[in-house]
Amino acid sequence: MTQDYIISWKVAGIALGLLLTLATALVKPLGVSTQFVVTDAAVAHKVAPEFAESTPYLAKYGEKEDWGVGYGWMLVLGMLVGGGITAAIFRDKQPEQDKGSMPRMWRDQFGPSQLKRNAAAFTGGVLLLFGARLAGGCTSGHMISGISQLALGSFVFGIVTFAVAIMTAKMLYRAR
Amino acid sequence: MTTLIIGFLIGCAFGAILYLGGATSYRRILGTLLLKDMWIIKLMATAIGVGTLGVYLLDLGNLAHMSVKPAYIWGIALGGAIFGVGWAVSGYCPGTCVVGTSEGKRDALFTFAGGFVGALLFSMAYPYFESLIAAANFGSITLKDVTGINGIYFAVPMSAALLAIAFFGLKDRYN
Repeated sequence: MTQDYIISWKVAGIALGLLLTLATALVKPLGVSTQFVVTDAAVAHKVAPEFAESTPYLAKYGEKEDWGVGYGWMLVLGMLVGGGITAAIFRDKQPEQDKGSMPRMWRDQFGPSQLKRNAAAFTGGVLLLFGARLAGGCTSGHMISGISQLALGSFVFGIVTFAVAIMTAKMLYRAR
Repeated sequence: MTTLIIGFLIGCAFGAILYLGGATSYRRILGTLLLKDMWIIKLMATAIGVGTLGVYLLDLGNLAHMSVKPAYIWGIALGGAIFGVGWAVSGYCPGTCVVGTSEGKRDALFTFAGGFVGALLFSMAYPYFESLIAAANFGSITLKDVTGINGIYFAVPMSAALLAIAFFGLKDRYN
């Protein structure tokens, strides 16, 4: 059998744990989901300043003059750049079934419509960030960084999220 | 300025690790959620195992810049449940949809775009959730604060347990 990965979960997991340690030593732990609001707030202050100021949650994350772009926002920008460069370099090594925008598993269960796949991806994205902002973090901020800091709320997030995600996946992929 | 550059570089490494480790792979994510391909959970358990030890070793020398999120139980549970549905439906999480977008996956771009909409919707709905967030809010507490025991005494066994689960406990199950 040909190798169906670029680096193993062991290497990636250890590297990620060390990166988290480094980030915690230098500035603060990893997190992604806050930056969606920071970006929304920055854009809102630009295009609809009255709406932004009258929406307390947006007003909290940005001002007209200060867009709130800091460490966390640069981190997500770095993910786009670092992910993109790495993907360009290692494209040939990426397993065939991990390429493209139409996962084989999805196609076997839901058919070949890219529109359907994109609609689900979009809807999932809406739910992801609505839920992450309500909970105060996502996989990186709550689960990886939060549990590593032994944060009480992050254990709750990890348990509930996995339980619900597993139930949802089982429902989506029940035999038909 | 230095902080911004550090953030950018750490983000680059984060994105590279997620891509190389297959974290943007739909078959890996759904495989884990269907409890068949344990790749992602093993990756996460390893990362948390190493991270917990790393963070609390830093903490021993007072070198950790912790950022503990407040524990408001009901808001986190409801948010986590909504997040869980979004995770299974899209096959991405907020970080991996960013990396998936960077490697040119169109479905990841749709999740990314949906994320901005979801964050905006939550911003508008925030006043309705304020009371839920205020209820059962224990503040930014860790196991160390709850018990009064130094975190390293939790970190070492938990780290060992997570690494043992990842390396020896979890097995892929294909029919």
